[in-house]
Amino acid sequence: MTPSRTGIILRVTVLALLGAIWLVPVYLLLANAGKTVGNYSGSTLWQPGSLTDLWDNLRQVATGTDIPRALANTAVYSVVAPAIAVVLGATVGFAVIVLKLRNGFLWFFVIYCGSVFPLQMLVIPLFDSYSRLGLYDSLTGMVLIYSIVCLPFSAFVMRNFFAGIAESVFEAAVVDGAKTLRIFTTIYLPMSSSALAVVFILQATWVWNDLLLGLILTQSDTTRPVMPVLTGLQSTEGGGASYTVVLAAAILVSLPTALLFLVSQRYFAKGLALGQY
Amino acid sequence: MLLVFYLPVLYTFYLSFTEYNGLGTPEFVGVDNFAAMFGDSAFLGAVRNTMIWVVGTLVLPVGLGLLVAVLAYGFRGSGWLRLPFLVPYALSGVAVGVIWSFMLGSGGALTQALQFLNLPGTELRWLQDSPLNTVVMVIAAAWQGVGVNALLFTVGLQSIPKEPLEAARIDGATGWRLFSTITWPLLRPSTTVVVGLSIVNGLKTFDVVQAMTQGGPARSSETLALTMYRDTFVNSDYGLGSAVAIFLSVVTVGASIIYLRRQLSLSSASLGGGK
Repeated sequence: MTPSRTGIILRVTVLALLGAIWLVPVYLLLANAGKTVGNYSGSTLWQPGSLTDLWDNLRQVATGTDIPRALANTAVYSVVAPAIAVVLGATVGFAVIVLKLRNGFLWFFVIYCGSVFPLQMLVIPLFDSYSRLGLYDSLTGMVLIYSIVCLPFSAFVMRNFFAGIAESVFEAAVVDGAKTLRIFTTIYLPMSSSALAVVFILQATWVWNDLLLGLILTQSDTTRPVMPVLTGLQSTEGGGASYTVVLAAAILVSLPTALLFLVSQRYFAKGLALGQY
Repeated sequence: MLLVFYLPVLYTFYLSFTEYNGLGTPEFVGVDNFAAMFGDSAFLGAVRNTMIWVVGTLVLPVGLGLLVAVLAYGFRGSGWLRLPFLVPYALSGVAVGVIWSFMLGSGGALTQALQFLNLPGTELRWLQDSPLNTVVMVIAAAWQGVGVNALLFTVGLQSIPKEPLEAARIDGATGWRLFSTITWPLLRPSTTVVVGLSIVNGLKTFDVVQAMTQGGPARSSETLALTMYRDTFVNSDYGLGSAVAIFLSVVTVGASIIYLRRQLSLSSASLGGGK
């Protein structure tokens, strides 16, 4: 492709302008998270903040709010649940494709269809049964539900991935005398490490950013994930955290997934597209 | 899996025909909940707002995402130009809500900027008046969503074979003509993904609204997902909440089926491209 030079200059200009507009809210976020309540007013809104004030606000987030505890909870959920979902999903995918499980496709279809319904369809019975089973407001309950919600996508992607591995690989391993479990753990899992990573990253981000399930299934600060806590900070007017502190909290909470996203951009696009075929 | 995904669906279906406050036992009331739902102004407002969300999500993030992808394709260093659009995508819906309610609140950054530039619009109460509040929240969500759509379209553009483009260029096609007759039809797989995702996400909108207005003031900016949440978990009317959940699910599943079927029949009927 060799577009004309003026064409490229025009395109770069349009993109740069649009990109600048896109960065305005980011600038406002950074600038005002770096102001103390005293320095913050309507007239100083557009002025840059200072690093010391930003640090001060972050300290207030760390000491004066439930955010640190919530971050710890969310870290557990978004590492453990996707890990479980990825391993189980790979197992399902392996069983369906390689072992040619009887009615494998049907099983797979059943699992996949379950994920089409909006979460809203599940939350009432979920809340109800969690209260009865004593899982409401518990770490176990949250890890469990996040793993289950992540499983269909994971199974789906892994099935597609295993479908692309030649059958002769499996047959050769069998001829060499390897047991099925060994084939799975020493051949198929290592071969699919990149796909596993894609799925894990996408799911971890999803769990990290979840608001609905956390809002409905938790209550105490020992289990509540970070997004419900952040919305809660914002709506406590008077007596709650000041607005610049809330902005600092928003930055803090976004950092892990933002960094993860920026280093693994390519995988994101690939993974997102995978989910739809 | 069956237990977790299908049983709840059936149970929600059952609850929607009962009167239940979360305690005691559900009491069968027939279609009362559905009748009440269609007469409820909060629900009807939510249907309207959700429609604004779906249309807005289709027009803004998809349109702008395509524009960014096409403009930033095919020359060196273009990845850097896409980066500003990806930064918001890395934020959660809640963080986006926090930033935008800060900008749009009374006396917020936008009002300040308009005052400074002597532009009209300083008297607008962005998050208080309906349907303005829904429209600005759609824009906030678009701010977040453009990047990922641009990314998906870029992947799509990269997978387009070079030969048809070269052939068309030799025949003298350039610019808009080249795009509309060659690139756009060949981009169909990506468009399918992006449009399908956008419809479903628009229907299920929850996070940004919950973080910005909680559906208020006076339930005027609720989407169906918020109405369902409020009816059930705030007002403890499980029957009504279930009815809204059923309505939302039927629409979501229906929309994806219709959309996918249309796409599938199109791709098998017209392999040669075109409309």
